[in-house]
Amino acid sequence: MTRKKIVLAEDNSTLSLLLKFRLEKEGYELFMAQDGREALDLIEKESPDLILTDIMMPFVSGLEVISHVRLKLDSDTPVIVFSSAGQEEMVIKAFNLGANDFMGKPFSPNELIIRVKRLLN
Amino acid sequence: MATYQYLIDYFNEAPLLIQLAWAVSCILFTAIVILTLYLKLIRATLRKKDIETARFRKDYESTLIEYLYSSSEDGNINDQQIAIIEKLNVSVHIKSKRKIIISILYNLMNEVSGEMSDSIKTLYFKTGLYDYALARLENKNWYIIAKGIGELTRFKIEEAHDLVEPFIKHPRHEVRKETQLYMVNMFRFKGLSFLDELKTPLSEWAQVQLLETLQKFDDQQICDIKPWLKSSNETVILFALKLAKMYNQFEVKDTLMELLSHPIKKIRVRVIEVLTSLYGIEAKEMLKANFNDLSLEEQISFFGLLEKLVVPSDEPFIEKHLFHKNFEIQLLALKILKSINIDKFMGLSKSTKSRGNKKIIQFVTNT
Repeated sequence: MTRKKIVLAEDNSTLSLLLKFRLEKEGYELFMAQDGREALDLIEKESPDLILTDIMMPFVSGLEVISHVRLKLDSDTPVIVFSSAGQEEMVIKAFNLGANDFMGKPFSPNELIIRVKRLLN
Repeated sequence: MATYQYLIDYFNEAPLLIQLAWAVSCILFTAIVILTLYLKLIRATLRKKDIETARFRKDYESTLIEYLYSSSEDGNINDQQIAIIEKLNVSVHIKSKRKIIISILYNLMNEVSGEMSDSIKTLYFKTGLYDYALARLENKNWYIIAKGIGELTRFKIEEAHDLVEPFIKHPRHEVRKETQLYMVNMFRFKGLSFLDELKTPLSEWAQVQLLETLQKFDDQQICDIKPWLKSSNETVILFALKLAKMYNQFEVKDTLMELLSHPIKKIRVRVIEVLTSLYGIEAKEMLKANFNDLSLEEQISFFGLLEKLVVPSDEPFIEKHLFHKNFEIQLLALKILKSINIDKFMGLSKSTKSRGNKKIIQFVTNT
């Protein structure tokens, strides 16, 4: 059985590692990007089943990543965005651009797994 | 050898000025060479340090993740976790490594919640980082103390309350501010109890930070702010007024009414603004009766209140101030008149008396 692919775009290396460990344990194949630009490359190269992206990232923001996926690649790959406190407007923009779900930081990795499973099944 | 001898002879026979120029050139050249080598050495050392830091960071990130995911379901620390704590314990004694471990823990603490956040806190205690933070509180330098309190705040260490609290009266405002933030971050509205006895000024920036911290919490059950409205500290009253406005404290209206006669003008003006947002009808009649005794700022603020709480019976009062010497009052009076009696307002543009104010009337008509 082929493992489902997830691209994780997050500039906090510790959180990325934590989520990678957790998601891989659940049987997913993880592709990690430290910024939006790397995320776009990975999305185009790997055609993932799900995208997890932070909103604020160097070079290319999470909003631009969603916009690229929905408008340029014309893809309906589910996207979950991570947002910090005070980024409520960004979250609304993310939904307007086509994000499927969001999680406010700090979040529980267990809750993320539930949301990932819900979107992928 | 002959060439060198020729150069030495040339130098000895040259005029003094030329000799001096050569000497300066040689010194500068030597200095440039030495500094270039020194710079290269520093850059190489920094690069090496950066690589080491990155390697160490990567290593300890993995260790931390391993620690977090190896926890048992009953919440007790198992052998694997003990081994990790011991490994970290050794590194914590080295300042540079301690800094990296703190930054890794803090980075993750900010991003995850629930059990994992608790585990990070446990690790903070078990690795001895907590003791290092407490040791900072005993330092004679104020900035080290402030950093120590900041760290305890970031890691949400409520246990340090008794040791941090005395710094609320520290002579340096930076330390006081960190202590105040610690109190509010840990104990929310209860943490504001320091305001009861605060004698030193609470800066505008500190007030903003405290309000921002309070807004982060889900539980918005505010405590009694009346004692702070009656404080002898002007800044505490101003902060309490912000709380009253932000948390719609209708129950303190009577205290706010008393503050309308406070000796400090700034407070009186702010009170009118707060009463405006709390629909202080009672204040309206009182201020209207004493309007001429109010300062200009209070008068402007009162017209702001009137704009929100106006009733048709206020029309004569508004009319009286349509041509007030202050532009803001004039503008507000016209806006209020337009809202309660549009016919009278439209009639103003034709009136001979209002010719000088044609532009304002035109502006209010179009808005």
